[in-house]
Amino acid sequence: MPRPEPRTITFTIDGQEVQAPENTMLVDAAKHGDVEIPVFCYEPKLGGPVGACRMCLVEIEGIPKLQTGCSTPVKDGMVVYTQTERVKTAQQSVVEFLLINHPLDCPVCDKGGECPLQDITFGWGGGISRFIEPKRHFVKPLELSPLIAIDRERCILCYRCVRFSQEISEDYQLVLLERGAHSYVSTFDGHPYVAPFSGNIIELCPVGALTSRPYRFRARPWDIEGSGSVCTLCPAQCNVTVTVRDERALRVLARQNDEVDDGWLCDKGRFAYQSFHAEERITEPLLRDGGQLRPVTWERALSEAAAGLARAGEASAAIAGGQTTNEEGHLLARLMREALRSPHIDSRRAGSLPLELHRALGNPALQATVGDLEFADAVLVLATDPVNDAPILDLRLRKGVRRHGTQLALAMPGETSLDPAAKLSLRFAPGQGGAFAVALAEALKDGDPDLDRLAGIAGTQTSKLRSLTELLKPARTEEDQRPREVVILFGERLTSGPDGAAAATALLQIAARLGMADVDGAGLLEIPAATNGRGLSEAGVLPNAGPGLSDSALPGGRDARAIAEGLAAGELSAVYLLGSDPLRELPDAELWGRALAGASTVVAHASFLTETIREHADVVFPAEVYAEKEGTVVHPDGRLQRLRPAIARAGGNEGVRAGWQVLSELALRLGLDFDVLSGAMASKRLFEAVPFYAGLTLEEIGGRGVRWQERDAASHFPTGASVADKAPALAAPADPAQAREVAGFRSVWDAVEVEHSPALEFLYPHRETVSG
Amino acid sequence: MAAPVASPKLLFNDIDEPGLCTREVYERRGGYDSLRAALALTPEAVLDQLKASGLRGRGGAGFAMGTKVSFLPKGAMDKYLVCNADESEPGTFKDRELMQKNPHLLIEGLIIASYAAGANRSFIYIRGEYVLQADALDAALVEARNAGYVGEDILGSGHSLSLVVHRGAGAYICGEETGLLDSLEGKRGNPRLKPPFPANQGLYQGPTLINNVETLSTVPTIIRMGGAEYAKLGVETSTGTKLVSVSGHVQRPGNYEIELGIPSREIIYGLAGGPPAGRQVKCWFPGGSSSPVLKAEDLDVPYDFDSLGKAGSMLGSGAIIVVDDSTAILDVAMKTAKFYRHESCGKCTPCREGTNWTVKMLERIDVGEATPMDLEIMASVQEHIIGNCLCVLGDAMAMPIGSMIAKFKDEFEAHIERARLSRGVGDAAGSDLALAAQGTLDAGPETLLASDPSGDQAPGEHAGDPGTHQGGA
Repeated sequence: MPRPEPRTITFTIDGQEVQAPENTMLVDAAKHGDVEIPVFCYEPKLGGPVGACRMCLVEIEGIPKLQTGCSTPVKDGMVVYTQTERVKTAQQSVVEFLLINHPLDCPVCDKGGECPLQDITFGWGGGISRFIEPKRHFVKPLELSPLIAIDRERCILCYRCVRFSQEISEDYQLVLLERGAHSYVSTFDGHPYVAPFSGNIIELCPVGALTSRPYRFRARPWDIEGSGSVCTLCPAQCNVTVTVRDERALRVLARQNDEVDDGWLCDKGRFAYQSFHAEERITEPLLRDGGQLRPVTWERALSEAAAGLARAGEASAAIAGGQTTNEEGHLLARLMREALRSPHIDSRRAGSLPLELHRALGNPALQATVGDLEFADAVLVLATDPVNDAPILDLRLRKGVRRHGTQLALAMPGETSLDPAAKLSLRFAPGQGGAFAVALAEALKDGDPDLDRLAGIAGTQTSKLRSLTELLKPARTEEDQRPREVVILFGERLTSGPDGAAAATALLQIAARLGMADVDGAGLLEIPAATNGRGLSEAGVLPNAGPGLSDSALPGGRDARAIAEGLAAGELSAVYLLGSDPLRELPDAELWGRALAGASTVVAHASFLTETIREHADVVFPAEVYAEKEGTVVHPDGRLQRLRPAIARAGGNEGVRAGWQVLSELALRLGLDFDVLSGAMASKRLFEAVPFYAGLTLEEIGGRGVRWQERDAASHFPTGASVADKAPALAAPADPAQAREVAGFRSVWDAVEVEHSPALEFLYPHRETVSG
Repeated sequence: MAAPVASPKLLFNDIDEPGLCTREVYERRGGYDSLRAALALTPEAVLDQLKASGLRGRGGAGFAMGTKVSFLPKGAMDKYLVCNADESEPGTFKDRELMQKNPHLLIEGLIIASYAAGANRSFIYIRGEYVLQADALDAALVEARNAGYVGEDILGSGHSLSLVVHRGAGAYICGEETGLLDSLEGKRGNPRLKPPFPANQGLYQGPTLINNVETLSTVPTIIRMGGAEYAKLGVETSTGTKLVSVSGHVQRPGNYEIELGIPSREIIYGLAGGPPAGRQVKCWFPGGSSSPVLKAEDLDVPYDFDSLGKAGSMLGSGAIIVVDDSTAILDVAMKTAKFYRHESCGKCTPCREGTNWTVKMLERIDVGEATPMDLEIMASVQEHIIGNCLCVLGDAMAMPIGSMIAKFKDEFEAHIERARLSRGVGDAAGSDLALAAQGTLDAGPETLLASDPSGDQAPGEHAGDPGTHQGGA
């Protein structure tokens, strides 16, 4: 779909000529001339203007009535006044009207000090009120949800929260009840407002009507500072600002980066910061002593771990968890391969792909971006449920459908919350995503495809498959010769398991048959199971690839499942778990239970003391949470993003240490010197090791990140030979009843950080209480 | 007192004929002949007749109907025609009689208009309280469908039209055209920002023509008479006849069909019989409760769109409300303001807060807690509302209230003073006025406070008014 390419026009505002993009709303265009027009209800993130608050009234030459600047597109030659007596009077009167029923309880309001109503009253209000009658009163505050308190007296009825619920998250829960001055925001029947993105309304509220319950009365704006970073609690990697007071994270706010998150956060990203300061955090090194984990010095823990790993040598293995940074992953891979000469390292949850397929899927020409999801003509969501895999993309898909008419197709084994937004919903049998991809590739083939058999294997309907083909690749008409932009958003579970390679091959065929490589805005976008899945692959944390997907990996590397089998069978004896809890996160917990029980040395490098660590770890290194971390991660669309420490690492001097530092010290004890003395040096080593990151610096990544595909060094990507013309071979069912094992993938909402955040406790089923 | 005037009967022709609401009687009286005549013409030719008639919208805004039709984009697409039958303006009850007694006239007009506009889907949005009228429309619609006037390929013309009668749920704001569209779409009936105007993006984002019941009911007559002939009725910029609903202090309240441009006095005194004997007209609303009030000296203003506009008011929906000298202006203002406070949807700030504040100020005046300075504040609040709102509901209160303050300032001031005295806080305690307030002197017909000498009754005394309750706190 063509992206808007605005023409620059010249208009006059308060006597000065200003250039601005044509058709931007006056309140935005005015900013180009350093003129501020005050607004309450206007918020472009919410879609079209509503013109409800009337704060932005301005005078336009040739129009008798004052106009709302939020809804008037700027035109060439327009003459606008924002400082005339008429405008001032109107703006003062709106402020006066708004304050009539506002309680002015600023001294006890969380918003005080960072409140648009305060600022606009100061800047554009009359300074006095002529209203002496009694104000409207409501019971206050009420629980709108376990996370949000609502104070309806403070509400100025700007509709932002209601519009968010109705038009952005489309949960349709918030409504305005009653009428006129008695209107108030509520859910229709008074049930709690529980939805995956509910917390955004707190940030949208321009007054103190919606406040965060966990943050209420914790700080005033002059007590806190904001620190920008990236949330690594799921692959969406939204940009955040951590509100810090006395080295504690008190709040997480969205840090708008349209290329990543559009300025939204999910409730997990917004509230799981509470876990950073939870009791369950590991804040000092632990060592198993007499069957119990006991605190020890770093020196002791490092020596014990080094000794254990050295004893195992080539029979050691490592698993990198999802929140591992590129730098940590890179150092871990070197530790394994160079210090221990072990090839066994993995970061994927359920099996690896042949290296050539990895490379072909990573081909820069085939990569779609988050923005492409919004502007594509059609999007196929295949084997992933965004709200559970990378929640913020759910909002982006809805935005595309609602605002740009994107045709959305879904292919999942079960229902998803996106179904109502989709033009077409297909089902396939659980575990048969690969077969579905093969069938779709066949359906897109020129000629007469043999669909019935393949559709039968996939457990989907031939007719629906044909509808999908028509949606992705409609017959060309005379007048519409514009190439069709199609994006396929797929989950890692598609390219995992026995049919992973077949699915990957089929995806490449689909891409070729839709001509994705030649169409801007078309492409593939994989949601990895791990937050930094893409970065870890690119850093070489795969059993079959070195840094930059090179073939420098040692031969014979085992993937995660094979590592578990090796440990259980005694072929491997030590395992390093970097931010990974296999019993919680990886498929086949039963196998992993035996594997960890059988290992002679289990080194756990983790943030939270989980059951797995309590049971199985021999040495425990305390690990940072993302707000403490320095390093880089890679967004699923190839954007390198930078983590910056917002709070001090827990535990003080003998407490948590940086991941790169722990790995360096461990490597030194194993006779390998990384020559890494700081986080920045760790990043530099990584950028040197990955050819297609060549020349990157942390400064270049900056606060918004940079997609490596858009840099010159992208030409170093080892695309390799085309594999798309190979016939994908589905794995034969292991048993005659055609039963197959389906790898479990956990929702991002089911995470240790959620569990240890008291505010999010309601997401877990109520625990049984024993009475009397 | 002037004698009743004779006006041509177009809309009210045979209105009291028994059984006119049935197709049989309606057709016997020439019903649906205009439809046949129109379908024999091209849509452009029908539109030309509408334009030539000079017919201006009868719902309140007075926009030329033919021009409005021509705003719809051309070309094949789903276009909508919506009839606004949410007649809620206080004092207005003309559409009610039309729909109840002659529903086929509206249906016929609507079909012709849809043909001219190229609309193939239509709705009649009727206010929920009009149960009888909605039933009449439903029954007539069944007859019209059975006769092939509504549906696919109407009378072999190739024009198709679906028609749905939709009942509202009792909100005044749903008579505002965009609020009506939201309500029709199943949403909360709030006005939308304009532009986009309904002609481009209306119902379900499609091009939409919205017309009042009376406007559409006039269409068959225009086709029968010819647009040019119709335009000879009335005066130059206000052609044709108009239904006026006269209510208030008149001896013969009711609906009258008049030719536009006759002196207002002829309607109020001639047709409606004027105020009861011994009373004088104090003020009158010429076009529903949202029009600025005029005084007795304005009675000779011709009753048409432009003359009333020049006189500082408007023709609006054609609802004349007469107030005689037995009523205090404060009561008129209070009743008006409370209505609009109650009906304000709450979407935009000046209307939501301004109507609420105005009522509170009026209540303060009433209980003697105001000073003459408050009148200035109240007047300035009205000025801050007018022209600054999302839709015209705010103006609909601010214009009449503003006009009352301007035209009856002395009476407001006297009222303030008297009410203060009765609370014992006035400047002139012990004066004649104070004694009058205590009932020891006859203070004329405006002693509305006499029943409440203590003056300490709480503001919210109008207990039946749902607008005063505190929103489910």
